Amino acid sequence: MRRREFALLMGPSLLVMLGLLVVPLVRTIQWSFQKVEYGSPGDFIGLSNYAQAMSDPRLGRAVFFTLLLTVIVTATILVLGYLIATGMNGLGKLRPYILGAMLVAYVLPNIVGAVSFSWLFDQNFGGAVNYVIQALTGQNILWFTETWPNRIMVIAHTVWHLLPFSMLMILAGLQGVPKELREAALIDGASGRKTHLYVIIPTIRGVLGFVCLITIMDVLRTFDNLIPLSPQADAIGNESIMLYVFDTAFRDGSAQLGLGSAINVLAILLILVCLFPFIRGLLKEAKAKA
Amino acid sequence: MIADTIKAPAGSVIKPAPRARRRSAASRISAVLLILTAVVMLAPFIWTALSVTKPTDVAFANPPVLTGYTPTLKAFQDLWETTYFAQYLINTLVVAVLSTIVALVLGIPAAYALSRFPGYVSAILLLLALVFRSLPRFSVVLPMYEISKSLGIYDTTFALAAALVAINQPFSIWLLRNFFAEIPKELDEAAMIDGCTRWGTLRRVMIPLMRPGIFTAGIFVFLFAFQEYLTALVLTDTSSKTVPVFITTQLGQTLPMLQQAGAAAMLLTLPVIAISFVAQKYLVAGLSDGSVKG
Repeated sequence: MRRREFALLMGPSLLVMLGLLVVPLVRTIQWSFQKVEYGSPGDFIGLSNYAQAMSDPRLGRAVFFTLLLTVIVTATILVLGYLIATGMNGLGKLRPYILGAMLVAYVLPNIVGAVSFSWLFDQNFGGAVNYVIQALTGQNILWFTETWPNRIMVIAHTVWHLLPFSMLMILAGLQGVPKELREAALIDGASGRKTHLYVIIPTIRGVLGFVCLITIMDVLRTFDNLIPLSPQADAIGNESIMLYVFDTAFRDGSAQLGLGSAINVLAILLILVCLFPFIRGLLKEAKAKA
Repeated sequence: MIADTIKAPAGSVIKPAPRARRRSAASRISAVLLILTAVVMLAPFIWTALSVTKPTDVAFANPPVLTGYTPTLKAFQDLWETTYFAQYLINTLVVAVLSTIVALVLGIPAAYALSRFPGYVSAILLLLALVFRSLPRFSVVLPMYEISKSLGIYDTTFALAAALVAINQPFSIWLLRNFFAEIPKELDEAAMIDGCTRWGTLRRVMIPLMRPGIFTAGIFVFLFAFQEYLTALVLTDTSSKTVPVFITTQLGQTLPMLQQAGAAAMLLTLPVIAISFVAQKYLVAGLSDGSVKG
């Protein structure tokens, strides 16, 4: 393909991304060095937004909570996704129905799923889960006002929402594993567990890495589901970074755009650090091809 | 010792039969487990469906009332009559359809170009797409809020659709590129030898071959736009509000309004469930051909 053709085909898409992603991003970076309100030009105040953000213990709590969520959810999703996908791969006629039913959690708008999820746990709304736990153990768990129960509920919801995607991707990967490989392992006398550990998992390493990457990206951005699931997020220490940004930069009464932007930039840096291994891998690949 | 060595092969000769039986028992167990998992995965949805078809006075009773009430669709009726739900639903659909079409029209040529132009430029662009996909939404959406206000397009479906095209563009390009990469380059060359221009090759040869890939990418982009909460929350106010935003504004209000929110959630979900059942085949096939082999 000639350079000119490449530019013509790529151009419109690049223009849209330049205008609607890069320009706003530059604006965010600019705001992060300013004292600014919506609709008026800001005053340059150097690094003081960053200083203020870094000295606020709320940021540390939000980072801790977000990272905790990311690690637990990603690990859980990889393991559960693999187990379910393996079972799904062996299913016959039932597969489309079960797969379709499991995908519902993923295709539902996140916020809608979170609302439904909160109803299962909220005693004020008849909470089925509460009722069952109370009947079994006599305990009444405060899912919305206590830190750890709330964390467990948020983790459960995030896993619930993202599991279908990882299961789907891993299933797609499993279908790409050549039959001969499994047969060879069987002939060599490998047990089921060993076949998985030494044959199948290494073969679909790429898929697992991709699932890991997408999950990390999505969990680091957690925002929507906390609105119904953790209405007192800040008070109980379960505020995500994005919720913190929203609260600072947008919610009525505060609108500290500069401070919010600074937190945003810090979040971008954190995300880039988390993605660094993947980015390095891709760059290596690109170098090999070039 | 000798007995052992004789026994071992003898045992393994007999083995296949019980092994086959054990296997089918195992697969039956795994089928049951999977059905259970699917039910658990559907539980929030089932619970909401139950809650919104109960009369308001028993819907949120504790302990939950499971029998002995007359199911009612009053919440749906109220939703339709007392709120602008129809308008919000239309907004959501318009935004999703519009942004899907634009994303594909822009994304297909770009993805094609990326799959056929080897070297650093394409690699860097793909890497940037990845970085852009991982950006926190707020870092682009808050400036968009200001820009759309100053341009006078704040709270229009057009502005929201445009924002979603941009936000989802990295993903759609990435996905589509991997589909294109699966099509051998020799096909392009053959078409061009036969006199097609590059554009003609894309239109006449590639797009027909890419149909399943385009379908898969289209479903994803449509779903993302349909689901989007945060961008819609920031970029809309009243006239172009979407259903997810409407649902959250109903929370924390009165119980009947809460039931209406649940009813809205059901109405938004049912078409999406239909899509997921119809499309699951394409999603699996699409993903195994597509994004995986990036």
